[in-house]
Amino acid sequence: MDKYKDVSPFVIIKSDVTRRSFIYTDRALGALDKSKHQYQQRVLIGSNGDENAAVPVSLLLRDGTSIIGMPSKTAKNPYVVDQIDGKLVLTDQGEIVEEVHYWYKPDYYDKFTSSGTPMWQVASSRPQRLEIDPNSHCHFWNKGNGCKFCNINANSAQSEKECNMSKQLTAQDVYETVKEALKQPGAFTNIKMSSGSILSGAEIFDDEVDMYIEMLQAAGDNFKDKKFPSTIVASAFSEKQLARLYENTGLMTYTSDIEIPNEALFAWICKGKHKEVGYAEWKRRIIRAVDIFGAGNVSSGIVGGCEMAQPHGFTNEDDALKAVLEEAEDFASQGVSIVHCVWVPMHGSAFHNQQNPSLEYYVRLAKGLSDLRKKYRLNVDMDNYRKCGNHPDSDLDRGNLE
Amino acid sequence: MSILTESVQALLQDSKAAKVLATVDKQGIPHLVSDNTITVNDEGQIIYLELIETSRSNVNLVNSIWFKRKVAIHLSKGEESFQIKGYPVYSVISGPVFEHYYKLALERNPEFDLSTVWIIEPDEITDDTYTARKNKERDEHPLITHLDRLAK
Ligand code: SF4
Repeated sequence: MDKYKDVSPFVIIKSDVTRRSFIYTDRALGALDKSKHQYQQRVLIGSNGDENAAVPVSLLLRDGTSIIGMPSKTAKNPYVVDQIDGKLVLTDQGEIVEEVHYWYKPDYYDKFTSSGTPMWQVASSRPQRLEIDPNSHCHFWNKGNGCKFCNINANSAQSEKECNMSKQLTAQDVYETVKEALKQPGAFTNIKMSSGSILSGAEIFDDEVDMYIEMLQAAGDNFKDKKFPSTIVASAFSEKQLARLYENTGLMTYTSDIEIPNEALFAWICKGKHKEVGYAEWKRRIIRAVDIFGAGNVSSGIVGGCEMAQPHGFTNEDDALKAVLEEAEDFASQGVSIVHCVWVPMHGSAFHNQQNPSLEYYVRLAKGLSDLRKKYRLNVDMDNYRKCGNHPDSDLDRGNLE
Repeated sequence: MSILTESVQALLQDSKAAKVLATVDKQGIPHLVSDNTITVNDEGQIIYLELIETSRSNVNLVNSIWFKRKVAIHLSKGEESFQIKGYPVYSVISGPVFEHYYKLALERNPEFDLSTVWIIEPDEITDDTYTARKNKERDEHPLITHLDRLAK
């Protein structure tokens, strides 16, 4: 931390905890109050938790920074969440690093829709964002071409089997859950929807666009005005599809993830995306979305560090960082924010045995991406620390506002 | 235990007292906000409710919690005047504490859309009245005064 005195220590801690993972002591798990804290969650990528294990879904630091992740039993050098002197703390080799808090459970969580679906299975809740993922099955996996870092289909298949959690949501369930969530004053600032890619339709992704239109309209029926703070993390839609989406829904911002900002590595790691659309076209479509949503209202996520996956990735961190930041600058100069998450080689993904880069790499990456937004005067309101909470770089932006 | 005396805590709870929060930006440029809703919680920590997420104060407070920089609060009513310096220790953006103050802000003004509950741990407090400051100076710097004050 001494070397990066101008970078928030909370963001450095977040990156390292995500990178190295964490476990809980029994004392810390004993501090979980099932009536107050979240221990079950519907997520696309990662893990939906397990009622019997009752593990907190994520952590919050003192400054409002989220650490999004589930504990890993196989991590080699994890942080330990403990309870000491009545406070929950992150510890590293027995030393207290920082205080942490478990995410609170919103009021709607234990309620049911009229069809009997538990509302927590319809919408997850981050500290200030409602997360609705209407389809947790990705078509790219059907031909064995899912992105190599991703475990979406493994996770949703497990949840369907073990918790009877449906892979698809209904519009009525979405409408009722959003309606209930909005009864809690001050709880949310944004609705985000995401889904595995749906390749079917007259034009590729047409059915995915139809699904978002239906779900956004259902959520939108709860608002006074047509437009409401919202985003989708979706496939790279054509201009025609984006226009249809924008005109027919309350959607205000748009994300489509380029994942690995390097054509050759994208072709290897995101084989399905490259085969069906191609890197250059995926990128072009994201940039064209700026014409509809406006500069700063379009972002693209990258799996930070995955560019160093072996055997084809970069072997030198400086080279990897240079390549990533150069491509990120090309996006930023055209109005698109690049935001990163910390690559966690997850169970259920093809890369589960890989090793992610050093902490210093992540600190430089977060700072580099945040500095690019400053240079191109892009605000990241759509994806800031309290909306998503999964991007160390956009966490930094709150200290940089002019 | 808080360093704030009962009388200072009472003044912080008094909505008629004048309260000013001073922060600095990264370049050291000061910024002031006058806000008589600044108050104190049961632990003797100061509560500042930030209504504007992108305000200069909020950004300065973010940098203060990140880099352990002090902020100052000036508090006065009638003959009483205090200066408190402390560290922002929590930026509360969700959960029961946030929602409690969110509703309170709404009751004050339905237009208020609370961004952040800042919790400031007081670290030093000084009596800021002229008399207290002058007495201190006389004790510590007896040579600094005009001679006419000392004439027969
Ligand atoms: S497109 Fe790739 S990252 Fe997205 S859900 Fe499908 S496999 Fe996962």
